[in-house]
Amino acid sequence: MKAGEKLQGFGKEVIGDILKARPPRLKIPSRSTSNIRYDEKNRYFVLGDKYGVRSAASMKQVKKFAQTMCVADFCRELIANDKFATLREMYYTAEGWETGPFRDQGESDAIVEDLEATFMLKREDLGLMPEEDGAAVYGELTLKEEGVTIDATKAGRAGYTIPPTIDDVEFLKCKAERVIAVETMGMYHRLVQEEAWKKFDALIVGLKGQAARATRRFLKRVHEELNLPVYLFCDGDPFGFHIAMVVISGSAKLAHINHELAVPDAEFIGVTASDIKNYDLPTDKLRELDIARLKQLQRDPRYNTPFWQSEIKLMLELGKKAEQQAFAKYGLDYVVKEYLPEKLGLKG
Amino acid sequence: MKTLAEELFKEFREYSVSEFFRKNAAMLGYTGKIRSLTTVVHEGVTNAIDAAEEAGILPEITVAIRRVDEDPEHLKVVIEDNASGIPEEFIPHVFGKMLAGTKLHRNMQSRGQQGIGIVGATLFAQMTSGKPTRVVTSAGDGEIVCADVMIDVDKNEGRIMNGKKLKGDWRGTKVELELKEVRYERSRYGPYNYLRMTAIANPHTRITFIEPDGKLTVFERATDSVPERPRPMLPHPWGVTADDLLALAARTKSRTVAGLLISELSRMTKRKVEEVGRLSGVNLKKKPSELTWEDAEKIVSAFKQIKFMAPPTSGLRPIGKEDIEKGLRQMLNPEFVYAVTRQPKVYRGGIPFIVEAGIAYGGGAGRKEGGEEVEAEGLDLIRFANRAPLVFDQGGCAITLAAKSIDWRRYGVDIATAPLTLFVNVVSAYVPYTSAGKQSIADEPEVFKEIREAIMDVARELRRYLYRKIRARERQQRAKIFEKYLPIIARKAASLAGVQVPDIEPLLKKVAGVEDEGRKNGP
Repeated sequence: MKAGEKLQGFGKEVIGDILKARPPRLKIPSRSTSNIRYDEKNRYFVLGDKYGVRSAASMKQVKKFAQTMCVADFCRELIANDKFATLREMYYTAEGWETGPFRDQGESDAIVEDLEATFMLKREDLGLMPEEDGAAVYGELTLKEEGVTIDATKAGRAGYTIPPTIDDVEFLKCKAERVIAVETMGMYHRLVQEEAWKKFDALIVGLKGQAARATRRFLKRVHEELNLPVYLFCDGDPFGFHIAMVVISGSAKLAHINHELAVPDAEFIGVTASDIKNYDLPTDKLRELDIARLKQLQRDPRYNTPFWQSEIKLMLELGKKAEQQAFAKYGLDYVVKEYLPEKLGLKG
Repeated sequence: MKTLAEELFKEFREYSVSEFFRKNAAMLGYTGKIRSLTTVVHEGVTNAIDAAEEAGILPEITVAIRRVDEDPEHLKVVIEDNASGIPEEFIPHVFGKMLAGTKLHRNMQSRGQQGIGIVGATLFAQMTSGKPTRVVTSAGDGEIVCADVMIDVDKNEGRIMNGKKLKGDWRGTKVELELKEVRYERSRYGPYNYLRMTAIANPHTRITFIEPDGKLTVFERATDSVPERPRPMLPHPWGVTADDLLALAARTKSRTVAGLLISELSRMTKRKVEEVGRLSGVNLKKKPSELTWEDAEKIVSAFKQIKFMAPPTSGLRPIGKEDIEKGLRQMLNPEFVYAVTRQPKVYRGGIPFIVEAGIAYGGGAGRKEGGEEVEAEGLDLIRFANRAPLVFDQGGCAITLAAKSIDWRRYGVDIATAPLTLFVNVVSAYVPYTSAGKQSIADEPEVFKEIREAIMDVARELRRYLYRKIRARERQQRAKIFEKYLPIIARKAASLAGVQVPDIEPLLKKVAGVEDEGRKNGP
């Protein structure tokens, strides 16, 4: 069912309750950490079956219920007019609503998440998008956006920018055989300059740190629709590990749409703790924060594989971490000439 | 040659009661400048109200306190009533002789009792200012008696100076006392508060008060019926001692001890007398004058082994729930009032008493140290015994202890801040005072327990009221919130569904009144 129909159904339900003098209620799946579990079979996070009830008969909830209705109706209008608004735009629009302004954007964002989780929709389905664009992609992919055909090798040095509305983009042609997603834009530009996309028949994706929804959605689509394996190349520290893991298994916070975002088959290639050792990379000492985070990851079910457990353990033993740009020690083209071919199994 | 003993006893002589009290004025409440003044007002007003009630007249009392000269501690107190007056020949006794009176042997509830009060006031006036006390009285028969009374301390006798008679159409008694070493203050311990309390506990009394600065206050009456007079009650056998029994024997007109027991004690029947005779082994046919101390002790111990009906309480006259509430309402104009008059109980085996309690919340209720206009500063406990205010010595009083023993938070109030007045009246022919000053009730276990229960009775009612009040306010807030948001929900839902906006009145009605759903499901 389409988002618009779902919202209309919701409106009808509420009207039905009002006519029967029955307080309208909304069952909203709980997104607290206690209601999120790691689905071993699908290898990503899913919501449990706990939910909270928002009731129009509760003095404490009736305002929030009215705000939810306002957000829903705002989205209905966006969908009907085929428009997009950012979450921030909606937050400002609410100033004029009868329910009054929100205390902060966190409050309005939370209601959007409520609707997403309740109706199993992505915010993009509701006509809403996050402020930030997705990251960039460079490689032999041709796509069609808003009627315009774009070749991702001819979109300038920075590549094709993944829009928040990536679901509306059509993939026309793809020569690439794999995707290499990198954490930093520094590495992205290095790989583009060294023509790694040509050398490895790859789409190079710059994640810009923690991957935005649009980027993750892009990775998910190229993996599923174009059958490309996805390789993740991040910094050799707990935060780099986790940037990769969110792409692979999804985040706890967005558990209700992880089935549309997670790429369980994506593979983390480095920088691993073993790389630090094997390539004798320049390092920084682990800070206390890094150590605490590593210990957290050790207990995280997503990291419960022999590979991750041994890498985390080794990093703790070394007491060191390394950035992906540390390979520059051996020359700017070292990653493309030596490191990546080895990791991707493409060497000689 | 005199013996040593003769030498030592050369100075031995009899003291009069008046002289004893002259030396022990503090025992009568004449201690401190403010307290002494309040005590004088108390003695005068108590007598005045008692006199009017005896005569079945609605009391109309005027109290005036005036400066005599430049000395602020030199004051004249004038107390006037509208009772039936005092016969001329009794004036020296009433105002000049201690332990004279009609009340002590009646075993009846009254404000005054021992025949000490007003004489003490006369004596205090005389001791501090050297002036006699002026009494003006008339039975309303056209003749008005004026007399200045001085006390002959050695002889425990009143003496009239400047007695004269006037013609005039007036009824009542007016007493003028000139005092030194007193101070007027409008504090908790001063005459103003005393009279205010008196008015609360005596809603049938109208009190006019004129302060030294000329300010006039009328404490208007809240009811127009004179309380029924208490009736004398015979003592209950469990309440008498061997000494009491001998005293009764000396006074009785009965010819045998058996007759004495029946006529002078309550709940005594022929059968009970036979039982007393059997258990004590005393010959009850002997003359009362032949009763020995040993006999009396045996009889008293026999009493303890016999089951009697509870003492009669017909003589007790509580103020009554309705009049307490009227009095509190009249004086404090509170938002909530509740009072209770408990059933009669007995202490020390045979002395009946009744406890009454009243509570007032909001309005003028609560402790107001800074005057009537300031915000209340917590619980104001006002204590009474037989309707007479107890102003001093609150610390050790059973009423104070009982009020303190209660966990007020359980009743939804913080007694440090709540605008709350708590009224307690203990009614008995023998109120167990801690001293002759009669300002504090002794901590008798039965009395304490009964006071505590009375307070809890009224506190429970207050809790109910406060709870209802909170609920009502919550309901209002609820209604407001739903009236604001339900129409928005309806309009937006209609917009989503693409239909007309439905009528929300039935839902609003249902939701705005009912229990909060969130809370119902909550912990």
